[in-house]
Amino acid sequence: MTAPTLTPAPAVRARRSARLVRRTQASRTAYVVLVVVLLASAFPLWWSYVIGSKDSAAIVQDPYSLVPGGHFLQNASTVITTIPFWKALGNSILVSTTVALLVVLFSAMAGFAFAKLRFRGRNGLLVFVIATMAVPTQLGIVPLFIVMSKLGWIGSLWAVILPSAVSAFGVFWMTQYLSEALPDELIEAARVDGASTLRTFWSVALPAARPGAAMLGLFTFIATWTNFFWPFIILDPGNPTLPVALQQLQAAYFVDYSLVLNGVVLMALPLIVLFVFAGKQLVSGIMQGAVKG
Amino acid sequence: MTSRSSRTGAPRTRPRHVVLSTAAVALLALSACSSGGGTGGSATQAAGTGGAAGGPVTVTLATFNQFGYEELIPEFEKTHPNIKVKHKKAATSNEARDNFFTRLSAGSGMADVEAVEVDWLPEMLQYSDKFTDLNSPDVQGRWLDWKAKAATDADGHLIGYGTDSGPEAICYRSDLFKKAGLPSDRDSVAKLFGTTWESYFEAGKQFKAKSKVPFFDSIGATYQGMVNQLPAAYENPGDDSITATDNAQVKKVYDQVVQAGITDGLSAKLQQWGDDWTASFQKDGFATMLCPGWMVGVIEGNAKGVKGWDVANTFPGGGGNWGGSYLTVPKQSQHPKEAQELADWLTAPEQQVKAFKKVGAFPSQKQALESQDLLSFKVASFNDAPTGQIFADRAKAVTMTPYKGSHYFAINDAMQQALTRVEQGTSPQESWDKWVSDVKALG
Amino acid sequence: MTVQSPAQPPAQPAGPDPSTPGMPSPAAHGSAGTAPAASPAFARRTPLAPRSGWRRRLTRLDEKGAPYAYVSPFFILFGIVGLFPLLYTAWVSLHRWSLIGGQGAFVGLKNYTDVLAQPYFWNALKNTLSIFLLSSVPQVIAALLIAAALDSGLRARTFWRMAVLLPYVVAPVAVALIFSDLFGDRFGLVNHLLGLVGVDPISWHKEVIPSHVAIATMVNFRWTGYNALIFLAAMQAIPRDYYEAAMIDGAGRIRTFFSITVPQLRATIVFVVITSTIGGLQIFDEPRMFDQYGLGGADRQWQTLTLYLYQLGWTQKNFGRAAAVAWMLFLIVVLFAVVNFLVTRRIASKGSR
Repeated sequence: MTAPTLTPAPAVRARRSARLVRRTQASRTAYVVLVVVLLASAFPLWWSYVIGSKDSAAIVQDPYSLVPGGHFLQNASTVITTIPFWKALGNSILVSTTVALLVVLFSAMAGFAFAKLRFRGRNGLLVFVIATMAVPTQLGIVPLFIVMSKLGWIGSLWAVILPSAVSAFGVFWMTQYLSEALPDELIEAARVDGASTLRTFWSVALPAARPGAAMLGLFTFIATWTNFFWPFIILDPGNPTLPVALQQLQAAYFVDYSLVLNGVVLMALPLIVLFVFAGKQLVSGIMQGAVKG
Repeated sequence: MTSRSSRTGAPRTRPRHVVLSTAAVALLALSACSSGGGTGGSATQAAGTGGAAGGPVTVTLATFNQFGYEELIPEFEKTHPNIKVKHKKAATSNEARDNFFTRLSAGSGMADVEAVEVDWLPEMLQYSDKFTDLNSPDVQGRWLDWKAKAATDADGHLIGYGTDSGPEAICYRSDLFKKAGLPSDRDSVAKLFGTTWESYFEAGKQFKAKSKVPFFDSIGATYQGMVNQLPAAYENPGDDSITATDNAQVKKVYDQVVQAGITDGLSAKLQQWGDDWTASFQKDGFATMLCPGWMVGVIEGNAKGVKGWDVANTFPGGGGNWGGSYLTVPKQSQHPKEAQELADWLTAPEQQVKAFKKVGAFPSQKQALESQDLLSFKVASFNDAPTGQIFADRAKAVTMTPYKGSHYFAINDAMQQALTRVEQGTSPQESWDKWVSDVKALG
Repeated sequence: MTVQSPAQPPAQPAGPDPSTPGMPSPAAHGSAGTAPAASPAFARRTPLAPRSGWRRRLTRLDEKGAPYAYVSPFFILFGIVGLFPLLYTAWVSLHRWSLIGGQGAFVGLKNYTDVLAQPYFWNALKNTLSIFLLSSVPQVIAALLIAAALDSGLRARTFWRMAVLLPYVVAPVAVALIFSDLFGDRFGLVNHLLGLVGVDPISWHKEVIPSHVAIATMVNFRWTGYNALIFLAAMQAIPRDYYEAAMIDGAGRIRTFFSITVPQLRATIVFVVITSTIGGLQIFDEPRMFDQYGLGGADRQWQTLTLYLYQLGWTQKNFGRAAAVAWMLFLIVVLFAVVNFLVTRRIASKGSR
């Protein structure tokens, strides 16, 4: 779709006019829409904070109030001392990072092959990959448990990482993204220059895939972070991930929701920190991918 | 070569290296961590540490909700130096149940001592050969008859040691009763409720005549108390075949509770544990409810600030039990002997009284019911009601264990749905017919 | 309750793909494959004839074998943790199988016919379709509009873009708690607010459509921002010259949006629609957490197919029938995905100039 090389002048001009076009397009409607979206999006987190900062009596007696109580830090320290918080936090970071990396890597590799390489059975395999997304996973718990048991991984973090690292959606995504973001001419040029597939992948495909890969990585990280049920089934209480550890706060006939929702906020905080760091990276990545023509 | 690198602009090598090194570090750290956690975790299930070699044996204990064992476990480890205990807690009974059946089905991964709630016990009894027979002279006569019987299979194997129980009384709002011009102190109210369902509903009608507040929370909850007094409501004890739809007693109970709740208008139509039910405690949602010992804590929490809750020492139909659990030792366990020791100790009367004092888990052990600690226990927010004494009386008033077979759970769920439908507006006959076809579909 | 976490229902990430219809045929670019090993440029760099022969073989091996090597990590992993559950479930569906008791007699397709005869199956199918429509359609539209807003020149771009993703970071259990509180029939906040403007309280947990609306709201809340970022990524790939040209021609914002942005996004829209079809027909967590029982309502008002299969397997312990429902759901999903693909491809090709 695009010529493989750009002389500097048109590129610079394109960038400049792109910026111009974008800047002049910010409208009041856009801001209004976004403020509404922001309010709606932030509401559950805000409410979690509100409830997480009250004590349980205040919650039952004043359910609709949106004003926070003053007890957030106090509740937080209760949460942290009641459950194995730091261990769970460490485990969650480890698991989510590993899964995100594995998914991005394997999906990029497979996506590159599906999108840009020709081989026998390509279409069939890709359809197969997509079809696997259509099978409901609820019953898979039992056979998956059997597999983990045979591997001796019950209670191990690997039992959580490996199933999550299989992402048909990730493969599908990278396939679509690379088929568009990576012009064939680039690959041909690499081949002409004598590069092996590995070299092509490394030096051409991966850089082009960066924005899509960053997005996939971020989404995967968040999804793994908040995943509850399978880790709950397979892990031991001494070695939990955050959602599993936080669930223990609900272990009572009368649940103290101030602690539960406080835990929810604590669990979301690292992700928000990640946003701040990754967000800039992501945005610039998205924009860079755009400057092609 | 140069043409390629000028195209993509941004320094692409740096992020890649960062990515790679993070991956390497993560994987290294991971293998270190998980091998520690993994072998630790799987060892207790698979190989088993120590034991024959003379080192301490690690036994896993899986519970849910609140059993009150947090301080008991260190005590146990002190008095049994060769046994270490790992305690796994699920938040709710339902989660524990899902986990329990997954691991039972997969054939591995269960804890050495698994807590089982009485609601899912019947399904387990069908597969009692997957559990160790825990019968021993030590525990003969430890529990109330009906408690032990519920965990005994057809061949007389005792597969669970009773922990707590849920003897039921009736909790009521004494302030609302006073406002309605009815007696409001515990003893008079107990007399007013009487000892049969008819007298309880009759009292309800009297209350309704003088108050806008509904009498009880839902027909589903009330039904539960009633059906648990039928010896074999849904299945035939002999061959576990389903008899629910032909059982005239079930229909009678259904009609009775629908009459009282809907036709006579005594029900608040608030399904238990729902958000509306929880919120209703602060809004005078209902005046009475069937009340097992552990419900007192729930009411306390939900009704903070509301004064007037009290407990009447009576239960229609004589006695009722709701809830209560058992400790079982699955045959998957690698350390059945130590597991049995732990279960035995935890369910001894002394320990159960300690658990009661900590989290209100009411004992099911005969000796515990005589303990002074228990009998003198009062709940300040319930008008200083002597709940220890009251629930001990109620526990002794339970005369039988209803038979619950392998389909009990599913059939009862369907019945609860039928009753909710009626409260939501479906005609009782139509709802009943749907229930009948649901039950038939199970077979 | 999900086994795998990353990309789960309803919408999945996609890259910008304006030209191809979006379904798995990346062959659209159909470049004549790879430069042949014996291109003149290549031959020039390999002076010695024997070496060139060896190199040529290696390169050919690389070309033929590398693709398989690149897809193999995924497939190997899948073979370990994905394939066995699939086969196991299929195997179970052909037997009488109790969750605890284990394998019973082989009954062929009896589980399937039994399930099809159950009115609850069809009820669950109806609910599933209804919730799917109520969630996917508004979601895709809203995501498009939000992406358009994010694409315009904003101040503090990163902030707005990440704000949109906030719902995704709140743990699902909290979202469920909050929303079922909001939609409480008697004391919920939504009914309270409706009462303030004079509307009668709606029975969110009693009636069928209100319950679907409430659940669809939960789903939309969680995934709209996610999809918006996907569309945004696609929008970033639209060449800015088009917009420049439009501006020069004097087109207004709305006109630009519909004449340039949307057509260029058609393939991504198709992609999102297809992946949300797959995910949306498998919604499980939201309907499950909508009430305290998790069975889909006293009259199965909101019981989806996945809830139904869970009930068959875990409440009734009828693993065989549950597996049959799982595979039938698979067929339904495939059917819908294919239909969606064909329909939207027709629209896409009609529309593209």
